[in-house]
Amino acid sequence: MKPLETVPPEANSPASSVPDSIPRDIVRPNLDPNAPSGVRKFYKYIKIFRVTLVERMTYRGDFLLGTFLRFVPMATTVLLWKSIYDSSGRKSLGGFTYRQMIAYLLLTHISRMFSSMPGLAGGIARDIRDGTLKKYLLQPLDMIGYLISYRAAHKAAYITTSAFPYAIIFWICRSFFDVPSWTTIPAYAVSLALAFVVGFAFEACVGMIGFWFLEVTSLLYIVMTLNFFISGHMLPLDLLPRFWANLLESLPFQYMAYFPAIVFQEKIQGAALVRGLALEAFWACFFVVLARVLYARGLRRYGAYGG
Amino acid sequence: MIDRTLRHARLIASLGRYTLAREMSFRGNYLVKLSVELLWLFILLAFYKTVFMKTSTVATWTEPQYLFFVGCHFALNGLIETLFMDGCVDFTELVRTGDLDFILLKPMDEQVLVTCRKIDWGTSLNVVMGGVVMALALYQMNWRFDPVRAVAFVVTFVCGTAIAYSFMLALTSFSVWLVRNQSLMEMWWLFSSLARYPREIFRSLAWAEPLSFLFTYILPFLLVVNVPANVMVRVFDPATVAFTLAATAASLWASRMFFRRALRSYRSASS
Repeated sequence: MKPLETVPPEANSPASSVPDSIPRDIVRPNLDPNAPSGVRKFYKYIKIFRVTLVERMTYRGDFLLGTFLRFVPMATTVLLWKSIYDSSGRKSLGGFTYRQMIAYLLLTHISRMFSSMPGLAGGIARDIRDGTLKKYLLQPLDMIGYLISYRAAHKAAYITTSAFPYAIIFWICRSFFDVPSWTTIPAYAVSLALAFVVGFAFEACVGMIGFWFLEVTSLLYIVMTLNFFISGHMLPLDLLPRFWANLLESLPFQYMAYFPAIVFQEKIQGAALVRGLALEAFWACFFVVLARVLYARGLRRYGAYGG
Repeated sequence: MIDRTLRHARLIASLGRYTLAREMSFRGNYLVKLSVELLWLFILLAFYKTVFMKTSTVATWTEPQYLFFVGCHFALNGLIETLFMDGCVDFTELVRTGDLDFILLKPMDEQVLVTCRKIDWGTSLNVVMGGVVMALALYQMNWRFDPVRAVAFVVTFVCGTAIAYSFMLALTSFSVWLVRNQSLMEMWWLFSSLARYPREIFRSLAWAEPLSFLFTYILPFLLVVNVPANVMVRVFDPATVAFTLAATAASLWASRMFFRRALRSYRSASS
């Protein structure tokens, strides 16, 4: 059985799918009619964010339990890596000491907290398949804008509610961490924010394939399973043979787990850090543009059957 | 007794044929499910290959021995998922909707009907894939056929499956009280993650020793894969095999009692 780490706890909560009907006050925000149209357009996405946030906070107990449970297997991972380091007789493997390795594996949880988008691609494909996508076409609402507001609210709720258990777990594991310099923190924050955009736009692109193939669930499983390894969630990419490490470091998947973690650990600094962040920003823009193009092209093929 | 057992065996075979026919209605989907499992196995093997490029042993297990352990875990987990997982996950829904009434009214054992109702053929080849990995490991270590070890392996593999099944049944039973038991898979994964590694890793840190004792002698989940893998490729200890047999009997009995106790608390939701 694949580990549930491929499916973050958000996916288990009942509100992980887009509702069939969008609340009326979102589409017609109660806003001064004289306000500029740009403000009115933006305001409705703020409303979507707020409504979704309230909805998500209803299940905060579930979040807390789920987050704690998620870290229990981390105990066996710590033991496994301790055994690996002890057996190898080496202090460093692939440039990571034992402490750094455990810190890395914990930090990938933070990376995935930002980059994973459970149910996003499947939800888009389902809307296309059963015809409910037309709810975005009949109302003055952009689908990608709606989804990004919805996901941002999910993430805000998840990060808020899981902050407490995460703080406890990271405090217990504090001996594994080196405190980063003050210049690293903004770079880490930027890498996480971009990880969110890369994760969102990449999953949206996968979901858009539903315009061309009716059933993409199986494809999703393959992509997500593969992503778990090639994003560096299982182990740092530096441990792989040089050829594979170079190959995976040139792909965008590393930005969903590996890259933010090594930024925090200051394994990438100076010009290399700036170049890494620029590349991450490039991939974020690339996937956003690709999602837009796929959506525009897909709509031309869309038949709006069912729904 | 024999009649009853045969009747249940026939029932499981019929359910198996029915679920296979359903699965084959979507052959493309079935093939993709298999390819996902195959991909996951390759990822696991890539992970351990990478680890063994840095060290020759992990917690005293050599690479071929560890490969055998991984194959054993993959096969055993595949067997559990094929036979019982879908039925157990579905139990929550049966309780919530009150459809459990229809199962309780049937002239068959409720536990068999609940847990074996949905055979998932999509994970069935995991057993074969795990078997291939184990065979590859035995070939790598030039294993010479030993009938005693082979028989002990089969027996302890069945015992491991039975212990894992008992834990799954106990977790499933909680659905009666919780009504919504959405975290069953998560809880199951927590337990199965314990079985995924050799018991020796618990000796690497002092705080883990009590956990090793707890999950070996009180909640014997660490025996599930460790014992069959050990008897085949490492130490064959008859005392451990005997203890595993006793633990299996105790787990099956305790989980059945717990399941029946849960059923007594069930209040139909449909009327």
